[in-house]
Amino acid sequence: MADVRLDAVYIPSQDVVARVIEGELIIVPLVAGIGDLEDELYTLNEPGRVVWARLDGVTSLRAVAAALAEEYQAAPGEIEADVLGLMGELLTRRMVVEAAGA
Amino acid sequence: MKPQAPSPALYHIRGKDLPISRAALLELMREVLARGIPFRFRARGWSMTPFIRDGDVVRVAPLRISAPALGEVVAFIHPDAGEVIVHRVIGRRGASCLIQGDNAPSGADGFVPGENILGRVTRVEREGRVIWLGLGPERYLIALLSRSGLLLPLRLRLGLLWRALGKRSVR
Repeated sequence: MADVRLDAVYIPSQDVVARVIEGELIIVPLVAGIGDLEDELYTLNEPGRVVWARLDGVTSLRAVAAALAEEYQAAPGEIEADVLGLMGELLTRRMVVEAAGA
Repeated sequence: MKPQAPSPALYHIRGKDLPISRAALLELMREVLARGIPFRFRARGWSMTPFIRDGDVVRVAPLRISAPALGEVVAFIHPDAGEVIVHRVIGRRGASCLIQGDNAPSGADGFVPGENILGRVTRVEREGRVIWLGLGPERYLIALLSRSGLLLPLRLRLGLLWRALGKRSVR
């Protein structure tokens, strides 16, 4: 699993196209320089979409988790662990990158 | 009190299994092509038979600086329907293209403004095989036949002849 830090700032990678379509966030990885709708696509559940929307290159992952904990009135520690898990998956699949100079 | 949130989760979808509307297809295609990157998707319909059949996988490349040429096959937004369609350029007038399906009995789609043309088709695959699309010099002849309304009748007659020859060889 990729190394994820709560004090780091992340942004969606340039190697994906992500669009909210008919209420669903569809993420298309640009594999070998092609946006391939025949290949592997990804989507996030609702809390996942909240996290993705906050990956703005400014907000730290800790702040993202705090906002999510407030949104869902959940224990911050529990939410942080969940957010770290999701970010680990996204980083492993190169769908997000750490923001440069953040 | 809000319900307990499920953990944020990422789900994997096989693209070919994703039911996607034409509007959604248009959004994704636009976004990818705007980045200068080709887009690959499964075509639906029969209006480009025999070159493109229902279920064939089509690759569309961004236009970049060159406008589509006569006989090229393009993905465009139909001016009236607002949907993505893949048909052949059979004429040019300034930045607009006269476009028509190779197997469209209803005739041409009309002159389509350049800004509606999303990209050119560079490759078609059927069950993993690359299909001849008639994009070499023969594209001028295909465009001419299509424009003059001869492509469809010619194709039907050739198809009947081919079948007849096939039956004779079986005997």
